Amino acid sequence: MKTSLLLWGVLAVFLGATLVAGYFEDDEKEEHTLVDNKCKCVKVTSSFVASKDNPEEKVLERNIRVIIPLKARQNISDPTSPLRTTFVYRMTELCKKCDPVEVELNDRVVTAEQSNTCKSSDTCYTYDRNKCYTTTLPFSYGGKTTAIQAALTPESCYPD
Amino acid sequence: SSIFGPRQVTGLLGGSVTVKCFYPRTNVNRHDRKYWCKESTRQCATVISSNGYIAQDFAGRATITDFPEQGIFIMELSKLGLKDIGFYKCGIGLNDRGLSFEVKLDVSQDWEIYPTDNIQKELSAFLVLLSWLYKGTIKKKKKRRSYAVMHGSLTQYRTVQQTVPCDIRQKYMMLCAVIYPTVQCMWGGLVHNDAGLKSMVKVSRAMVEQDILNWSPKVPEGAELYYKELGGSVTMNCVFGTQYASVRKYLCKMGKTGCSTVIDTYGNVNPTYKGRALLSPQETPGSFVIYMTQLRKEDSGLYLCGVGEYGETVDFPKKHMSPFVSPETAVPQGRHTINGVIGGSVSVECRYDPRRNYTLKYLCKWRKNGCTQLITNLIMMIDSYEGRIVMHDNPKNGTFTIIMNQLVAEDAGYYWCMTDGDVERKSSKELKIIDGQPGLTGLKEVNAVIGTRVTLSCSYPCKYYSYQKYWCKWNNRGCKPLVSYEQNQTSPAVNCDEENKTLYLTFNQVTQTNQGWYWCGVSHSGHYGETMAVFLRVNGGEPKNLPQGKNSQNLDPAIGSGKRADFPADSSSPRYCEDPCRYRGEGPAREQPLRIPEPDLLLPQISIKSHEHTRVLHICSFSSSQEHDNSKVILSVLIPIAVVCLLLGTVFVVVKFKLLKRTELVSVGSYRTNISMSEFDNPRELGAKENAGINNSQETQIGGVDEFVTVPANTESAEEPKVVKR
Repeated sequence: MKTSLLLWGVLAVFLGATLVAGYFEDDEKEEHTLVDNKCKCVKVTSSFVASKDNPEEKVLERNIRVIIPLKARQNISDPTSPLRTTFVYRMTELCKKCDPVEVELNDRVVTAEQSNTCKSSDTCYTYDRNKCYTTTLPFSYGGKTTAIQAALTPESCYPD
Repeated sequence: SSIFGPRQVTGLLGGSVTVKCFYPRTNVNRHDRKYWCKESTRQCATVISSNGYIAQDFAGRATITDFPEQGIFIMELSKLGLKDIGFYKCGIGLNDRGLSFEVKLDVSQDWEIYPTDNIQKELSAFLVLLSWLYKGTIKKKKKRRSYAVMHGSLTQYRTVQQTVPCDIRQKYMMLCAVIYPTVQCMWGGLVHNDAGLKSMVKVSRAMVEQDILNWSPKVPEGAELYYKELGGSVTMNCVFGTQYASVRKYLCKMGKTGCSTVIDTYGNVNPTYKGRALLSPQETPGSFVIYMTQLRKEDSGLYLCGVGEYGETVDFPKKHMSPFVSPETAVPQGRHTINGVIGGSVSVECRYDPRRNYTLKYLCKWRKNGCTQLITNLIMMIDSYEGRIVMHDNPKNGTFTIIMNQLVAEDAGYYWCMTDGDVERKSSKELKIIDGQPGLTGLKEVNAVIGTRVTLSCSYPCKYYSYQKYWCKWNNRGCKPLVSYEQNQTSPAVNCDEENKTLYLTFNQVTQTNQGWYWCGVSHSGHYGETMAVFLRVNGGEPKNLPQGKNSQNLDPAIGSGKRADFPADSSSPRYCEDPCRYRGEGPAREQPLRIPEPDLLLPQISIKSHEHTRVLHICSFSSSQEHDNSKVILSVLIPIAVVCLLLGTVFVVVKFKLLKRTELVSVGSYRTNISMSEFDNPRELGAKENAGINNSQETQIGGVDEFVTVPANTESAEEPKVVKR
């Protein structure tokens, strides 16, 4: 009896190495964002996934997500313009890197765009959350009509 | 998504739980609606929102508070019941638009545990059997088991903790076997599982005393969450007891295969974190702080800071941390690697947020056991850096620049720009010593006799032609620029010789007080460049000073005020080498044309502004005698180049348009497209906002007349009847 309990005790010692750590599972999937166009609401990401033919191999997979705002106007800053029925998405234009980037030249740091033909004005299909969109409305009171500015995206239009 | 919060929260039945969610501190987010919703199969139903809505099931139990300045909002749910268990989302804006974070809420069952009577059975000289009774149900989850934590306190030895698994024998009994250590001690037993500590039994060697204490149940501690900007920095505090003062301390990152060390006190650093992570001991022994800068997206995850070794049987205290790097707001980076040559100089620019004020800003050099301060914005620096280092602060831009010259090989290493304050902007730079020669040259030490005329010279290369040059006198509070270029008795004169490319500092009658370090430097559009230090030693003659009145210039360090010398960033200041050098406007074109962001620019731009500048250009590249013919040479070279470029340009444009047409036919097979065309009840959801009744609500009609049409139409209609009449 005593020896069995002794052995049990020895077992307990060996089992004494258990730990508490219950760690959260990591999201190992690394997605690299290629395009995140808030103006046209297109997001393109790429990641390595296991190939369907050969599970051992990793293949580059590109995911394109396009959200089309069906009730948008042709001019998003003018609510009286007609509904937009044509949505054009050009991958070459979307994949252009037009945001200015800091580049080091010898000793100096310069800000430059990475693409050649970056058009600064682009027709947007939907609102960018970080920009304020307003429209002018004719407001008539007492026979006088004045044009006042109204915010189309109130949350974005607060002054800093 | 850029919202971050805890992945799982556990509360006790009847208790309360607090969830803190972080969001990027942009203007929109500060004013937008914050919500907390419970997920179901169809949608996420709002529980509570910052607009004032609260669901009926949660009325009186839930609160939501927004802290826009800190970028967090906190939800609190009290009187937890079992039906509250589920998946929730904390977010901003509209419910199902993706700007949210999923949180799992768990409510742990209540159960009781108490030791049985006669629980200890001394089985042998060193084996003891303990048992507890429990009431309730213990959910057997995969990774979590019930176990006993034996912990004892020894008067002579340090605290030791051991965990021993328990065997749930019968329905209500838990048995744990432990082996006594070989020394006399008091042992106690704690039993806890998911619900936390429940009951403690103190057992002594003699097995006579039996103290039964009931502990209040505790929820397992979650990880401390940090929400940081991309490229920013994080400070993690780890506080342990003073008994761990001399034990190894570490930070490791949790992964699938365990916890890999990031940095520890033995000097081991993971290569991906080299130069970016710093472990610094705190004042109280046993505690330390970890700084990480230049945060990348991959740095997000679960970290563990602890003492001893990870995974040791003896359980040392640990702490979980989870920094989340937000991709939306990014900190401007600046350069991370700075190259300097031996004898030359470097300038390190550290950026901070100009909108906030920091009391302390400093630069420190990374060493194995911490970071030694070199210079701070308040005053001093260490003596070995005398004459070598200066800090310029520009609060408007949010940068402070440290210039270090007379570099030696030992200066290579990692330097950290540190600021205090809650919005931290610490960054680390690596200084590398490379081969080469310093740009500014001249005598580094000049000896002079009192009363004589002394000239310090500093020669600059061609590349600094368009830069602004200055002389300044160094003291331990900064470098005071020397202003005047008139030659009068007391103040030194600054002269610039363009032909020889040399900057001169002339003292008409040098005095003892003029002794010290003088720096010759260049700067360009507010950024400081290279500097060179010269030490002027004045000997001999009477030690008498000139009368006070004449010495009242700000050159005299004894009389000079304690104000910092700040260089104004605009170029219209008379402090720079402007007039004598006949320097006007921007310099000539550099050797390579810069790609300036201009639309529709296909040709590289070579800008040659004026005849004067061509002359300036040629002093550097050709010999100075060919003044007259150079303009002709330029034209004869430029015209064929322009023709060739035009031809190339047209060919390029033609090809590009052809390419444009072709690339539209993208092979669909290589892309996995997910185009969702959806109609929503409320078009506002997608941002395509529309005021459906705009025609009616556009104007308030007071007066009732048909003033529906807009103003231009009115004028038209007014004109028309006139035409008709005619």
